[in-house]
Amino acid sequence: MKRKFEHPAPSERELTGPRYWRSLDELSQAPGFREQMEREFPEGASESNEVDRRQFVKLMAASFALGGIGLAGCRRPEGLILPYSKSIENIVPGLPLYYATAMPVRGDAIPLLAETHQGRPTKLEGNPSYSPLGGSCSLAAQASILELYDPDRAHGSSHGSAALDPAGVHDLLAAVSSRYSATRGEGLAFLAGESSSPTRAALIAAIKQKMPAAVWAEYEAVDVSNPTEAATAIAGRPAKPYYRFDRATRILSLDADFLQSEPGALVHARDFAKTRRITGETEMSRLYVAESHFTITGSNADHRLRVASSAIPALAGAIASRVFKATGASADLVAESEKLAAGVEFEAKWLDACAADLVAAGEKALVLAGFGHAPGVHALALAVNTTLGAYGKTVHFRAIEANEAVSIGELAEKVKAGSVKTLVVLGGNPIYNAPADLDWAALQKSVGEVIRHGYHVDETSEAAGVHIAASHYLESWGDTRTANGTLLAIQPMIRPLFPSLSEIEVLARIAGDSATDGYALVHRTFMARDGADEAGFRKFLHDGLLDRSSWERIGAAPSVAAANITTQMASSAAPTAASLEVRFEVDVKTDDGRYANNGWLQECPEPITKISWDNAILVSPRLAKELGIEADGALIQVARKNANKFQIGKQEAPIGELTIGGRTIRGPLHIQPGLANYTIVVPLGYGRSAAGRVGNDVGFNAYPIRTSTAAAFATGATLTVTGDTMLLANTQEHWAMEGRELVREGNLEEFQADPNFARSFGMEAHTPPIYGKDEGMSLAQKATLTPRGNSLYETPDFTADQQWGMSIDLNTCIGCNACVVACQAENNIPIVGKDQVLRGREMHWIRLDRYYTTGSTDNSEIPEDPQVALQPMTCQHCELAPCEMVCPVNATVHDEQGLNVMAYNRCVGTRYCANNCPYKVRRFNFFNWNERQIDSLYMGPLGPKNTSELVKMAKNPDVTVRMRGVMEKCTFCVQRIEQAKIEAKAKAGASGNTLVADGRIKSACQQVCPTEAIVFGDIRDESTAVSKAKHDPRTYEVLGYLNTRPRISYIAKIRNPNKAMPDYNALPLSRVEYNNKNHPAHHEGGGEHHE
Amino acid sequence: MSKVFPKWINTLPLKIVIFAGVLGGTVTAGITYYFTPKYTRVGYEPTQPVPFSHALHAGQLGMDCRYCHVGVEKSAHSTIPPSQTCMNCHTAGMMPVNTNNPRLAPVQTSFESGVPVAWVKVHQNPDYVYFNHAVHVNRGVSCVECHGQVNQMEVVRHEKTLSMAFCLDCHRNPGDRIRDPKDVFNLDSLPLAEQGRAEEAHKLIKDWNVIPPQSCSGCHR
Repeated sequence: MKRKFEHPAPSERELTGPRYWRSLDELSQAPGFREQMEREFPEGASESNEVDRRQFVKLMAASFALGGIGLAGCRRPEGLILPYSKSIENIVPGLPLYYATAMPVRGDAIPLLAETHQGRPTKLEGNPSYSPLGGSCSLAAQASILELYDPDRAHGSSHGSAALDPAGVHDLLAAVSSRYSATRGEGLAFLAGESSSPTRAALIAAIKQKMPAAVWAEYEAVDVSNPTEAATAIAGRPAKPYYRFDRATRILSLDADFLQSEPGALVHARDFAKTRRITGETEMSRLYVAESHFTITGSNADHRLRVASSAIPALAGAIASRVFKATGASADLVAESEKLAAGVEFEAKWLDACAADLVAAGEKALVLAGFGHAPGVHALALAVNTTLGAYGKTVHFRAIEANEAVSIGELAEKVKAGSVKTLVVLGGNPIYNAPADLDWAALQKSVGEVIRHGYHVDETSEAAGVHIAASHYLESWGDTRTANGTLLAIQPMIRPLFPSLSEIEVLARIAGDSATDGYALVHRTFMARDGADEAGFRKFLHDGLLDRSSWERIGAAPSVAAANITTQMASSAAPTAASLEVRFEVDVKTDDGRYANNGWLQECPEPITKISWDNAILVSPRLAKELGIEADGALIQVARKNANKFQIGKQEAPIGELTIGGRTIRGPLHIQPGLANYTIVVPLGYGRSAAGRVGNDVGFNAYPIRTSTAAAFATGATLTVTGDTMLLANTQEHWAMEGRELVREGNLEEFQADPNFARSFGMEAHTPPIYGKDEGMSLAQKATLTPRGNSLYETPDFTADQQWGMSIDLNTCIGCNACVVACQAENNIPIVGKDQVLRGREMHWIRLDRYYTTGSTDNSEIPEDPQVALQPMTCQHCELAPCEMVCPVNATVHDEQGLNVMAYNRCVGTRYCANNCPYKVRRFNFFNWNERQIDSLYMGPLGPKNTSELVKMAKNPDVTVRMRGVMEKCTFCVQRIEQAKIEAKAKAGASGNTLVADGRIKSACQQVCPTEAIVFGDIRDESTAVSKAKHDPRTYEVLGYLNTRPRISYIAKIRNPNKAMPDYNALPLSRVEYNNKNHPAHHEGGGEHHE
Repeated sequence: MSKVFPKWINTLPLKIVIFAGVLGGTVTAGITYYFTPKYTRVGYEPTQPVPFSHALHAGQLGMDCRYCHVGVEKSAHSTIPPSQTCMNCHTAGMMPVNTNNPRLAPVQTSFESGVPVAWVKVHQNPDYVYFNHAVHVNRGVSCVECHGQVNQMEVVRHEKTLSMAFCLDCHRNPGDRIRDPKDVFNLDSLPLAEQGRAEEAHKLIKDWNVIPPQSCSGCHR
């Protein structure tokens, strides 16, 4: 039987393809193609009425054989295959290619590997060749792939309201170049962000040479120059400090959030984790943190002192004077530090014990101060380090290149004087984030010609005459340096999606350079290096970095003079309720506002407050009481308190008005435990008015009260409560573990005395053993045979050669949330928007649970100074999974490798599984998040389905894009597992060795983790990293007593407190809470109860 | 007692049964025919923009599948060749073959203009199915098993159902369908079992450790 089907001809849209699609660019320029197709299919040519159904096909057609289906279940969906006309070297459709590139971040950069599918970058991972990071990367780097496909990015350049084509841009820049070459730069000024690009530095030098009178200013809303200034003054040459946390055993952080917001934080986190991981070989470090905010760093501290930022210099002085006296440092230093400490009262015992501990650690001690503090504090910290002999061990200077840029303040003066005729604003967003006292909007308006080069048409662009679209770093050539100076290559992964230029291309045109192409510029800079050759350049591009190119180390310990410390140090009076201190905090997600239009970041909950899609004015519990907003428990859910206004995910926050020096902002108030009593924390980076559809009007803008003299923290603020309220999408309203043993913690001494302590408490310790008579089985046997233990329930056998499992080390997890966004990028997880998060419908497959604990089971008060425990929580892949038992359609079942799998196409959406999951990790697609815009979710079947084509390009082709009405959850990155297995099988041949080597499969969360807290692999093989981790005596399973037998186990957290400290607790507070609840006869701080 | 019900009521139950039976049968038949993969795709034989004959190239000329489908041993996709591949032979160069045939015009145009030839998909899995060519052809599963004897097809036809049951038949009993690895690309060969070499097939499966996945995660991600 031969049936012949005619298919409709491809539509015009399908054949031309989106213009931005690189491999179809040529296609759209071919006039003859359409005619040819009509000749081939005359009868079907007019039937191109299936445009909607073909939208997806059109996209996928370019990625060739992956043609998707618009209407699943419909008969014979027709698709086209459009192969390349001429084959392209290295590209095999279906096989991803990896290229090295780098993401520049202020003066720092993160080396990356980009996964590309037929020229389309879909996922970024850290470049493992860069050993300080070992392949990990940050939250922002993970999310930056979405920035590339941001539909709100500038689609082209414009002059006023008229569009400007590439030739027009070229002419305009050429005109600027020739005009100011004639005046030798008189009247020309630049305002740019910080950058470590050697090519940019070379172009600036070229411009300066040609136009010596031109002004080059740099501005970053988050100014991290204080440590550099201090180091430069001390070393007598441009230098910056570089910390080696992996060599430090006693660390004192003075308001430095070195794990998250300080420059180089990613390397710090990785190094710090090395000293926290208990290997038995190295000494565990002890971290002291004195801070006003409650940062991630503070949450990882063994001893944490809440102190106002304005009192930090005094605290530094007080500790330093003790160290100086103990080590016999010069009288100058002692006198200077005592002078600094004078007049501020601290708990002497805390300082004595901390200083003594630092002195005892000697060269293994490390003291550092936050970038917001004056250079004098950094000098003092360095003096302590050098006195202790730690210079060259835990801290050293590196000689950097001098930056001769002027500040935005100096530029403002020149603008006021009228000497600037043309202002070129490269990147940044000064109208949004320049210091309030400059009134930058008015200044910019007073300049005759403003040329803006920016990625979005943002606040600054709207007020500029000319906007030149900027390329994304994944679309352009460039070079940059990491914090330690290693030179990195920035390679384009795709041709610019819209006509745009990179920063160096703009500068080259203004400089009147003969080369205007990014590649040529980068190549030229590289070749100008000593001993550079073509082969070296190829290797540089291949590796993504240049070996041994880091900044030169300054070996000799510099001597810190008292004069370095005295500079501009003024301890002000302690803040009070009437004169509050305000700390401006770089936001973990939006940074200074630059990532505000990134939905992945906006939806990611802030690590400590757990608020998504908003920022809030954080106030301490004490201040909240005094303001009267805590009285009815409005903010954080307080268990057993009747009058709270917290309902699942909906936090009703009162709105307050914050005033400093006559400037006022309004924002919701959130009571944050752990803050210094009269310090208010205001995260920057929200309240954008021209960020795009995602970022507009999210949160409030704190820049209007931030001035150039008080950029990090300000004093003398007042806060009033207005009586209005608003809802905050808080993903974790419950902060207490209620005495349960979800996160198990112990102190180092306890662990040393009883390595198995984590198994000696918790419900399992009081119930008959789960494995019963089979308790003695090996890990491999337990994984494959799933012994019944004492259960009547028939258990399955898992037969595959490899059984997958995971171990999460709570001791090294710092709670940075990078895993959350890495998972989102890898697994096509949609964002749902604030309204849906308020309804508890966020889709993250992995979340970080944050618990506060004070030791008391009385949760009627919001604690002022709690300990924090963080726990990544995702599908536990239970061997005896409660979700599987209730699924009526077998949509969630186990496979033979021990994975709890979801068959999306079987799921009918009963949600029984989510209801029965004790870990609450299943996520339901209440709407067709991938098809609908966030604002049209409720519009029914006739509502617009207009998800941008650009956003679709960010999807991972190896993972199903889920439909409305199906359940989803962590799959252990099954696509990576299967790909690795296929690879192993394809090359196994007659050897029959189909096993995947340990370490070959890394789940997305594991891959990104800077601290390597997550280990994944085969638990059937005793030699794998994960098996070893699971044999750690501290291993336990969350809710293990339910006999769910999770494949994920956790390694209990160890705290390392100092017995001599006044805030020493013999047990972590969560244990005290546990004991209080379960053994009320014992009192707080009591010993462990063993059965 | 008066007649409450007319006489025809007596046959009503029978009528209902017959009607329900016919209706049910029609619906079942309709769903079976229109909605199950078993019947929907077999025999699908779309007209291609270029009447490329596999029978001529792979059959008569004996070209290896991999000359054109280069990705098949490495990638999930077998990869449709670029126009350049056709032009290796069909061009006025070293080995001009039939260069003036007007039916080749689309390929030549494509090669010159850079515009792809829009081939029509014959075999298409739903997008929640992740089939991988490489793992099959490297493990003794021949092209023939899913695509039929393409070397005899003038126009490529959808030969097998490619339904989930079709996949599972083989995944459950790979011994029935596995070939000598040398014969994977020999489209005229038979599975070992059909050659009466079942023992060899089972030895191969054992030696090569061929354990096809039978659970969801094998294909659905």
